[in-house]
Parts: sequence; C-alpha cells; structure tokens
Amino acid sequence: MADTPLIAVQGLAKRYGGVVALDNMNLSVTPGTIHAVVGENGAGKSTLMKVLAGAVRPDSGSIVLDGQTVTIDSPNAARRRGIGIVYQELSLFPQRSVLANLFVNREPTRGGFVSVSAMAAQSRDLLDRLGLHVDVHAPVSRLSIGEQQLVELCRVLLEEPRLLILDEPNSALNKRETERLFAVLQLLRARGNTMLYVSHRLEEVFAISDRVTITRNGRDVLTRDRAALTIPEVIEGMIGVQHEVLFPPPLPPRSERPEARIEVSGLGNDVLQDISFTARSGEVVGLAGLEGSGVANLLAVLFGTERARTGRVAFPDGRGLPKHPTDAARRGVCLVPADRRRNGLMLEKSILFNISQVVVGTQRGGLPWFSQKQALARANRQIDSLRIKARSAYSLANELSGGNQQKVVVGKWLEIAPRVFLLDDPTRGVDVGAKREIYGLIRQLSADGGIVLFSSTELPELIGLCDRILVLYQGRLAGELAGQNIDSRTLLHLINTAELPTARGAAEAPEYDVSGASEPDER
Amino acid sequence: MTQTVPGPAAVRRPRRLPEEIGVIVALLVMMTVIGVARPRFINPLNLLTILGHTTFLGMLAVGMVFLLAIREIDLSVGWIFNFSAVFTALMMVAGVNPWVCGAAGIAFGALLGLINGLLVVTLRLPAIIVTLGTFSMFQGLSLVVNNSRAVVPPNQESGYFTAISAKLFGVLPVPAAVFLVLAVAMHLILHRTRFGYRVQAVGSNPEAAELAGISNAVVRLQTLVLMGAICGLSGAMYVGFRGAIDPNEGSDFVLMVVAAVIIGGTPLSGGAGTVIGAVIGTLIIQVISSGLIFFGIDATWSTFVTGAVIVLAVSLDQVVKWQRTRRARRGAALSK
Repeated sequence: MADTPLIAVQGLAKRYGGVVALDNMNLSVTPGTIHAVVGENGAGKSTLMKVLAGAVRPDSGSIVLDGQTVTIDSPNAARRRGIGIVYQELSLFPQRSVLANLFVNREPTRGGFVSVSAMAAQSRDLLDRLGLHVDVHAPVSRLSIGEQQLVELCRVLLEEPRLLILDEPNSALNKRETERLFAVLQLLRARGNTMLYVSHRLEEVFAISDRVTITRNGRDVLTRDRAALTIPEVIEGMIGVQHEVLFPPPLPPRSERPEARIEVSGLGNDVLQDISFTARSGEVVGLAGLEGSGVANLLAVLFGTERARTGRVAFPDGRGLPKHPTDAARRGVCLVPADRRRNGLMLEKSILFNISQVVVGTQRGGLPWFSQKQALARANRQIDSLRIKARSAYSLANELSGGNQQKVVVGKWLEIAPRVFLLDDPTRGVDVGAKREIYGLIRQLSADGGIVLFSSTELPELIGLCDRILVLYQGRLAGELAGQNIDSRTLLHLINTAELPTARGAAEAPEYDVSGASEPDER
Repeated sequence: MTQTVPGPAAVRRPRRLPEEIGVIVALLVMMTVIGVARPRFINPLNLLTILGHTTFLGMLAVGMVFLLAIREIDLSVGWIFNFSAVFTALMMVAGVNPWVCGAAGIAFGALLGLINGLLVVTLRLPAIIVTLGTFSMFQGLSLVVNNSRAVVPPNQESGYFTAISAKLFGVLPVPAAVFLVLAVAMHLILHRTRFGYRVQAVGSNPEAAELAGISNAVVRLQTLVLMGAICGLSGAMYVGFRGAIDPNEGSDFVLMVVAAVIIGGTPLSGGAGTVIGAVIGTLIIQVISSGLIFFGIDATWSTFVTGAVIVLAVSLDQVVKWQRTRRARRGAALSK
C-alpha cells in the first residue's frame, strides 16, 4: 500500500471514569477502500468512530488526515473535513419530515426561505438508488425502522463525505435492504469514496470489505487485507483466547418440584396468529424470528403488556394470561426486556433500589415502609449469588457494565422467586464472559423448576442453549426444531422463509443473514 | 410543508388536510352556535372587537409555540409583558419620545428574555424551572418601579397613541393587524426558515440535533430572546392602546397563553408546532368568554369553561392519535 492513508489514527486513548474505552488505538485507512473494524461489544469500535466524527474528544493520541495532524472537536468540524457518520442508534428527528431530516442544519434556501422543492429535487436521485420510496413530506416516525435507517444513510450520503463511517448500519435492515445498501457502498467505492465499516456480523464484513482491523479491549489487535484472513482467525482475534465452552449442558432437574407447564393454544392478536405450544419446566425453549415476526409481541402478551384477542393460555397456577405486568409479577411471571436501559433499569438509581423494585412495587401485604436494611440484604444476596461486579450495593446501575446491568435486572426478579421466565434477548450488548454466566444461570433456573422462554437474535446462542426452538414468521408459528434437528442452516432457513430447507436448497446458504450468525457453530 | 412534489419519491403521498382544520372547524361551530342563539354576536364589529381583545395575549401565544416546539415552557411571559409595558410607560413619563419608548420596550422584553435564556443555558436547567423563578423576579421588580400603581403616560395625543388606537380601513384595530402580521411572519419563520427548522429539530431530538451540528444552547437562547421580544412588543403596544398599564395586567396571561397553544394543536412533546393553531386557540378562548356574556352567564364561569375546553381538546387529540395507531396496526396486520 504505497498510498498515503486518507486518515490515520495513532495512540488514541479515551476513558470514561474508570472504564477504558480506548487504549492506544491505531488505525490507518487507505483511500478508495472499504475498511472494516470488527470487535466484540466494548472493544472500542463505536468510541473510535465517535472520536473521528467529532462527537467524543479523545484524552490523548493524534488523528492525521491527508498527512496533516488535525483536531476534530465537534461534529461540524468533522463535517467540514469531509467525514460523515451513520450512527448505530438512529439519530433522526421523529416528528420531522423525511426531507427535514435529510437536510438538517444545511437546508437549501431560496430568497431566505427553506425550499422544500429544492430539497426534494436534490434527494430524489439518491432516494431512488437506495430504493426508498416513501412520502418525503411525512414524519419519519411513520416509516419502518429499516426505512428510517436508510433515511439516516441517505442524509449522510447527501453530504458527499470523503470518509463515510458506518457504525453497524444494517442492524435493522432486512435482507433486501442490506443488499441494496451493499450495492450502494460498492458503487461509492468504485467512485473512489472511502468507507469505515463497523460491524459484528463477520459474514457481511467478509462480503463487503477490502481490509479488516480487529479490535479488542480498546486496542487494535490486527490489520490485514480481507483476502488474507479467515472468519475463525478473526473470531480468535476478537475474543483473544481460544473459544471456551460457552454453553453449559442441561442440568438434571431437581425432583422435589413437580413439573410445571404453560399451555398456549390458538393465541392471536393484531400481530400474532394462531400460536400454540407447550413449555415445561426443566427445558429451555427458544423463540426465534426476524424483527417484526412477533417474538417480542408473544412475550409481551404472556407478560400482560399486550392483549390477546383469541386463544387460550394456561399458566402453571391454572389461570390464564396476566392482565397487566403487576398481575404477572404477583403470579411469578417475569420478563427480562430486550432494551434493559430503557425498560429494565432505573439507571440513575442504585443497585439496591433496582433490586428491590419488584418486591416493593408489586407484592401485596407487609408494612408500608421501605426497609433500607431489607433492601440492602436483598441487594447483597443477589450481588453474591449472581456475582455482580460493583463497588457496593449503592453503586448506580449506570456505572455497571452491560453484563452486570443485566444481572441486576435478573436479580430483581429472582427476589420474588418467579416460576416463568420470559427472557427477551438477555445477552444483547453483554460481553462474552458475562454471556457464559447468563447461560449458566438460565440452565440453573430451568433445572430449579422454572419455565424458560428465551428469545435471541444470535443463532449460535439459540442453538447452543435451547432444547427446543420455536420459530415465528409474520406472526405465525412457522415451525419447531428440537434435539438433533437444530442446526444453524435449518434454523436460518426457517427463520427467513418459514419453510424447512429442502435437500436442493441446502446447497445455497444465504449470503447475508439477518441475525448475526457470526460465531461458529457450537454443535 | 404543503408543497406537492411529483416524481417517484412522492408515490405514497396521500392527500392531507392541514393539521389546523380541526380547531378551525371547532371555532366556526362555536361561533355558529352562539350566532344562531344570539345573532348580535356575529356582527362583524363585535367579531373585530373580539380580535382586538385577543391581540396582546395572542402575540404571546404565537411566541410560545416556538418554546413548546423546543420542549420548553416560559412561565414568565405575563410579567415580561407587564414589566416591558411599565418600562415603556415610565420612559414616556420621563419625557422620551413615545416611539423611542415603544422600541425600547421591545428591546427591554428581549433583554428579559435574554436573562431567562442565559440562565437556562448556563445552568442547563429546563426553562420551566428558571422562569418559575424569574416570574416572581420580574413581577417584583415591576411592582417596585411602578410603586404598585398604574403608570399613565402624559400627552396621549401624540402620534404613538393615535396610531396604535386607530383602526385600519375604519374597522380593524391596529394591534389586531400587527398581531396578524406577526402571526404570519412567525408561521413562515417556523416552517420556512432554517431557524424554524433548527427549532423543530432541537425539540424533536436534542442529541441528534447536537450531532448534526445544531447547538441546543444557541437555539434555546434565541427562542427565549424571541419570546421576550414578542412580550416586549405586546407590552409596548398595550401602553399605546390603553394609555396606561395596571400593576397586575398580565399576571394571568401565562396559563391562557399555554392553553391557547395547546388547544391549537401544538404538542407538549416538542418537535412540532402550529402558529395558526395558536391564533385559532386564542380566538377560541376569547369566543368562549365573550360568548358566555352574550348568553348572560356570569363571566366568572369563563375560567371554568376555558379549562373544560382544554381538557376536551387534549382528549379529542389523544383519541384521534389512538385511533390512528390502531388503524396503522390493523393495516400492518392485514398487509401480511
């Protein structure tokens, strides 16, 4: 590579309090390439991108753009230097029209007034190319998440950046949208644009990138041409140590508790249609499906936050669906939500406060006083048994790592000894070590007589942990895989098409899947 | 934002009525009901008087739309209005040219808005908290400088007073005309200028706005200064119109102003706003109170009725929203 790099980063460091986000990070991007940055959650990828985009200022280190050392101290400064970023979380303005979003803070004017027709004219071409056929005057909140993501991408592309940073841009895109995105990226590369592509879906990284940098613990571990790398090598670089056994085997059920079961028959509402299944204690039942397939809705119905219109459900206590979450909590049904920061925790409150929430908030009887002593006992009990890493029970939930936060969410439920565990993607944004502990915990809960419904967006996890997997497709139960039938190809096919693969279809594995099946099979 | 653009990007464009149609219909229905029962009410002169009465409050409502659009509320508007009016009147008493006094009143309002804005921005507090304090500060200072008495400027034959209390074309009170011009200007500013786009962006998603290079602090500051200047304009014109400023005039403005904006359809959640709606909302409140008088109902009821209308307006709005989401969900379910 004789070219001078478009952008080079040397010795970048950034700490947030005691947490090291970046620790001597180096990166050098050749013009006209798609450069992928991969790494586990918490490896520092997103922080690095935010530094380049001017949203975060590094503690030390230098950024060299076109051979000149620069400081990028604001998003505007980044934009002036031709750096555009598509963020992982949507940064759109929900009430504003598509056009207002596309041209935010650089609206074209005519005679002093913002010209809506100029905005429409300037964006039409690109919208077409991205296949985004929507009402550009309607608020973006009316668009699907995938469409919103394309709006976000379109907004950055309209600025025609020299360096385009994509931070997991397709986490919400379906297969067709992802293909279209990749086509656009390839076109941009052909035109000489440079892109930094952050992802944890390795198949995609291999499909699109020219060069790959692996990051771990805030450092760059390895940078090499994609052609000189294999997926197992990349995984090894990301994780560092050899893959340990992540998934614990089923534990023998404890005999003192009788088998409990949930029976669901013909469940339906706006999204779900005729869902029937039985889940027993002692097994881990997986729920798989694309975004919008109804997995989240099914869990919400079972927890009482959404209504069912048809069907019958019998819970272990012999009664039907909980009427609301309080009812669910009183009957020993718990939900670990997918978005724990929003739905699972009071971030500004202590572990102690969070752990006592369910007990204090939902249980009947007892004194009306909040006993600090009992709350402390509860918190310490869960900190010990779940091995929550925190300075004390008074640490704020905000200060914990993702894995420890999730343990607090689980811990607050364990305080009421629930019988039914609805786990909605409980390992999202959790590091490998904590994942392993959570898997072990799930097995334990199941062996102790709990009924576990486990949904996940990561196939290896479903395959490794679950005894049975129910696959939902467009609100229907598309199929069930159990025991020997569980393998990633069958599961992937079922999730994407609602059909079991035929012998002929078996040859062609889908090129980009939707669910991040990046790690190798455990089976 | 009602411009239609042909071409592929607009394929899914349904024809939409302007958002304000609901409140406009509500106002017309109200006026028709009162008009049928008491035909005298519909008399154009009476209607214009109603418009004249709403002017000073309505101006504040027009400014408040911008504040709600950035997810803020300014509680001190009534006292900025009052204090600016007192300031203007006292300058006149001191013998300064009334026109200069009027301009100074506007600037003084803007200054009070700037104080609010600087506190909001430097302390990073919501405006509702800061203005809860400045509400009383401005009130207190105003009462100190006017000795808790009405301020009556001398020589009210001067051009300033005659110009403001004149009627355009013999019918339209000048303040009402200024109000309408201001409303049109503010409507254009909100929906057709880059400043308006920035205001709505900040209200819609402050973090994303910051990442897009829009300084939340600057937009907040600008909006609060604008609000102050409008209060100053309203106050300066009030002095010219009434020829005096009472020590408590404006004390009850803020709730009516916010009520008018909300009745008009501006959401409290920010990111959107309707100036036209706020104007109609102000008129609705005024029609209620004068309508009650026409029906011979005690005027003390008007406060209750205004409150009831607010509750009714927001409930209707909410019901419409629920239906829309339910329909959208149905649609999504059917399309499978």
